[in-house]
Amino acid sequence: MTRTEQLSASFRDPSGFLFTRNGVLYRQINRAYSKDYARLIDSGLYEKLVKAGLLIAHVDVDQPPAESAPAFKVIQPERVPFISYPYEWSFSQLKDAALATLSIQKRALKLDMSLKDASAYNIQFTRGKATLIDTLSFEIYKEGEPWVAYKQFCQHFLAPLALMAYRDIRLSQLLRIYIDGVPLDLASELLPAKTKLNFGLLTHIHVHAGAQKRYSDKTVAPRAKGAGGMTRQALTGLIESLESTVKKLTWKPAGTEWGDYYENTNYTDSAFEHKKQLVKEWSAEKKPALVWDLGGNTGVFSREAASSGAYTVSFDIDPAAVEQNYRVVKAQKEQNILPLVLDLTNPSPALGWDNAERDSFGARGPVDMALALAVIHHLAISNNVPLPQLADFFAAHCKWLVIEFVPKSDSQVQKLLASREDIFPNYTREGFEAAFSERFSIRKSESVRDSERILYLMERK
Amino acid sequence: MHFTPLPYLDPGSGSFIIQIAIAALLGLGVAIRASWSKIKKYFGIKPKSEDEDADSDNDQD
Repeated sequence: MTRTEQLSASFRDPSGFLFTRNGVLYRQINRAYSKDYARLIDSGLYEKLVKAGLLIAHVDVDQPPAESAPAFKVIQPERVPFISYPYEWSFSQLKDAALATLSIQKRALKLDMSLKDASAYNIQFTRGKATLIDTLSFEIYKEGEPWVAYKQFCQHFLAPLALMAYRDIRLSQLLRIYIDGVPLDLASELLPAKTKLNFGLLTHIHVHAGAQKRYSDKTVAPRAKGAGGMTRQALTGLIESLESTVKKLTWKPAGTEWGDYYENTNYTDSAFEHKKQLVKEWSAEKKPALVWDLGGNTGVFSREAASSGAYTVSFDIDPAAVEQNYRVVKAQKEQNILPLVLDLTNPSPALGWDNAERDSFGARGPVDMALALAVIHHLAISNNVPLPQLADFFAAHCKWLVIEFVPKSDSQVQKLLASREDIFPNYTREGFEAAFSERFSIRKSESVRDSERILYLMERK
Repeated sequence: MHFTPLPYLDPGSGSFIIQIAIAALLGLGVAIRASWSKIKKYFGIKPKSEDEDADSDNDQD
């Protein structure tokens, strides 16, 4: 029996929508979009963008549409290995997504097309690069028209980047609250006064926010009044100004939680190397397609898992570690590692209309293998999660689990217990194994050389 | 006057008006740059490549 389901994140644009049929992802294009689609292909823009790694590739398929009345055709886009969201990206990831969007817009304009939206959610990381995944984001450019996606670009990209660069890196989390980007009046209020000396931020955020307020109760029929109001040269100037403003925003990962974690641990080189070797061996043996490294720091162990060919998502709570990890991905042109910011004690929830537009962390799993290295003590002791609940959590998210037990005698755990009462009588090797054996079969366990830690390979029951 | 279909997202009245104002100013810059490179070309100075393929490797840094 065929099973067709429309994707719940894909309902806004009347041009078409995504659906899955028997697990395969398709995009239906509606007749309303047929002219724009033809231009995208015939002008060579599609090919150019795909070649540059800026647009997701697709193939035409002979599939019946999910909704036949408005249908024009069905295409099958290349599948993104893991969908991530802007509130999970580090500074440079959001910046690269912004620059990719502008680069696409510049190329589109040269071929008489324009982006009709500039949503950060339309960008995903594929092969280590920011890529537009919405093939239906283009429309035929009409000389004289302003950029309809200008406001969206400022809210989704410029405002959060400016706030992260000039105020606090943690303000990226505003994107989790405001699904259509950071309201510009809020950004304007939160940004330090000195940003008014930056021409780009002055105009695109502060003055822009003021204009929004001034005209908030007035209607301007955009395409009637805008037509003829803006030359192509003016539009190019606008895009270039946004580009140079974004390019100038920088953030240096320093003075954060784990930035220098590896220089600050109690492990010896040989313990570290031994752990790397075990992760590499076990991933090579189990050949997972998708791995989640939970608490991946700068991605050292993620890379060991990825060496088996697995696509590895390297999650960490610290934006500085994720930033460093992403910079390595870029520098080494790594294609199968995706660093993301995630607080395991409060992972990304389901968001948006009907809580169904953006998937929760858990809904994007389960995966073949998860790594939980040097993380259990943070969850069990700092966050007071009882061991059986930890076992349930991991069992819900992966088939194979590589988990490191860090005993109480370990100096890192001693540090966590130094300022609080030890209310964890079951936090022992035996207690850990008993709790996890309820949900997993322990396949391997190895004492990490020159340490008191134990590394386990477990299989979900 | 020709009317084209309305965008499916509300571009915002204030955003539209301010965009046109800012862009008029910025477009002037683009125009000046273009004529400046023409002047330089006239005197035999090679302009920097403004070809789109300059960033075709999608080097996003």
